[in-house]
Amino acid sequence: MKKTWIIIEREYLTRVRKKTFVISTLLFPLLYVALIGGMGFIAEKSKETLTVAVIDSSGYFTKEAIEAENQVDPSSSLVLLSNAPEQSKQDEESGYDGYIEIPSLNWQQGNDSLVFKTYKSYGSASTGVVEAKLNRIWRRLLNDSLQLDMRKQMIMAQSKIGLVTKNISDEQANSATAEGIGYFAGFLVYFILLIYGSQVMMGVMEEKTNRIAEVIVSSVRPFQMMLGKILGIGAVALTQFLIWIVFVFVVYNVGIKSGTSMGFMAEAVGGVQRMIGSVNVPLILGCFAFYFLGGFFFYASLYGAIGSAVNEDMREAQSLSFPITMLVILSIAIMTAAVANPTGPVAVWGSIIPFSSPIVMMARIPYGVPGTVPLWQLGLSMALLIAGFLFTVWFAGKIYRTGILMYGKKVTWKEMIRWAFTKG
Amino acid sequence: MQPTTMDSILSLKHLRKHFESQKAVDDISLEIERGQIFGLLGPNGAGKTTLIRMITGIFYPDQGDIFFEGKKFDPLVDVAKIGYMPEERGLYKKMKVGEQALYLAQLKGLSRQAAKQKIENWFGRFGMESWWDKKVEDLSKGMGQKLQFVTTVLHDPSLIILDEPFSGLDPVNSNLIKDEIFRLAQEGSTIIFSTHRMEQVEEICNHIALVNKGQKILDGTVQAVKQQYKQHQYSVSGEGLNKLSMNQAPFTVVSQKDNTLIIQIAAQHNSSTVLRFLLEQNVEISAFHELLPSLNDIFIQLVGNTPTARTFEKI
Repeated sequence: MKKTWIIIEREYLTRVRKKTFVISTLLFPLLYVALIGGMGFIAEKSKETLTVAVIDSSGYFTKEAIEAENQVDPSSSLVLLSNAPEQSKQDEESGYDGYIEIPSLNWQQGNDSLVFKTYKSYGSASTGVVEAKLNRIWRRLLNDSLQLDMRKQMIMAQSKIGLVTKNISDEQANSATAEGIGYFAGFLVYFILLIYGSQVMMGVMEEKTNRIAEVIVSSVRPFQMMLGKILGIGAVALTQFLIWIVFVFVVYNVGIKSGTSMGFMAEAVGGVQRMIGSVNVPLILGCFAFYFLGGFFFYASLYGAIGSAVNEDMREAQSLSFPITMLVILSIAIMTAAVANPTGPVAVWGSIIPFSSPIVMMARIPYGVPGTVPLWQLGLSMALLIAGFLFTVWFAGKIYRTGILMYGKKVTWKEMIRWAFTKG
Repeated sequence: MQPTTMDSILSLKHLRKHFESQKAVDDISLEIERGQIFGLLGPNGAGKTTLIRMITGIFYPDQGDIFFEGKKFDPLVDVAKIGYMPEERGLYKKMKVGEQALYLAQLKGLSRQAAKQKIENWFGRFGMESWWDKKVEDLSKGMGQKLQFVTTVLHDPSLIILDEPFSGLDPVNSNLIKDEIFRLAQEGSTIIFSTHRMEQVEEICNHIALVNKGQKILDGTVQAVKQQYKQHQYSVSGEGLNKLSMNQAPFTVVSQKDNTLIIQIAAQHNSSTVLRFLLEQNVEISAFHELLPSLNDIFIQLVGNTPTARTFEKI
């Protein structure tokens, strides 16, 4: 065990000290910031001009006040209606993009959760204008009806109108968030499996090509050698992720603290905040760690076995690893189906069977546990993944032991499987 | 330090190792004594590497037993006392020389501090002190071989197995390594030396075994083996050799050059009868000595008709 640890240490340190590790670790957060910034920029660009019907029961929102406001800012206009649009016309044909029903308000409290009903989804850049208009009318109204003193100013500061956007065409607005996170998590696992899996393969090939393999196996068991490599590279992947999570956490908190002073950045942070407010973040992170490691062990050991069996030839490695890579890609295909229908049989079985579960289950979990993913499915999937990677590690160990000392022979999967199941 | 006590450090009893349809090692027994420099010889594909891999714990024998230092061989423990330099050898190219040596020593069970001290010792002995921070890929082939040798013997193994240790070395470095091999044997280490280069074997080894087709076909001291395979040829120098009457001579002439004859003594005769015959012919002998076959001759005689890459016998 001590020797395995020495191997893990070497595999880890040589990789973490490499320039490519430092660069890729730094580059990702930069891309992340660029992405967030880009999202804010696009939100600003895609700001739409809305025509909104206001059905006022309070009597505060007079036609004059609204028209005055429309003249100040023509980007979105409010129209005062006495009734809700007819039921038959509650869609785009009504001529309005949405409507707000204002109940009889107490002017000293305002209303923090007026509902802005829309027929389509609009970004906060667009709905923000409507909210701002309502608030300006409200403030002017308060100004008019109050003799301002300190106490009254305090009331004014506390009393404002908040707007919650509700898409009545699609009651499950949260499912879009879940879908987004599901895709993101699934693809992240996919990239980890391919990138770090092939790193294991290349590492094993390097040992074989350098002819150091026989030197090492005269000191440690081949299995320790393989395990040390897989665990070492797994630790590298984990390190990179921890750095990123810390980074995201810091940026996010700085974003919150800096508040509105950063313009669209704050809006983007707000968006992220709303998004993660609707899902169980600790659960997703915990499951992510599990499926990422489980999937990594499952695939990395297979890639390691291939690395041990091939010679210097990269093409040979590619053709042998093709079936494995296909399994990963197939998982992505299943994931796409799972996101579309997270409780369908394809999604359920795809998230239970070990080869696809790391990707497919990660896409389903954001929809909710135990709502969409019953606990028995999660438990079964985890147990099978553990059993699965124990098997592939054992299987790969047998191939590795024979392959690592074999030179000059082109190997097929059939032969590799025979190595695994013969004695010695 | 016990240079030549006659106890056995390694004892192989009827080892067998079969691969799929190949008998790589087919019932080989060997005794190797402490302090010996043991030559393990054989053509390519004879089963030497498989045999060595069993001794180093890389392969488990299918049948037979290995005893190391008098006890049953336990690969997990005993590998710490064995240093193995395989024929297919190399190092991590991107690693620094010092770290590389530290890593391999730690895998043999040395602590970091102990390893560091020993490495500094060896680097000093070989004039490699300035190499510590060099990358392995920047070393010449010969330098790499020296480093490889150091990493093999670093942990003071009692059994050192060297497979073609001189390949890639210039004569100066060959001699350096050769001297180290003698010194290590003097200090009580046992060395198994595997090579195709018979002149090196004659120079270095005191005991040899020849393996062919997975079986041991020869085993003994270098002198004994040469005696066993001698051709009864002698070299005679002297005046009057060109006027010899070969009637009833107890030998035939193999070759002649100036005043020297190479002769083959006929069966049922010996050197005394030859000398008596020569004296009777009034030859004035200036030199007379037996020609022993070189190991190379014996090797070729014994395995010469084996194709170099043998096709393994089907089980």
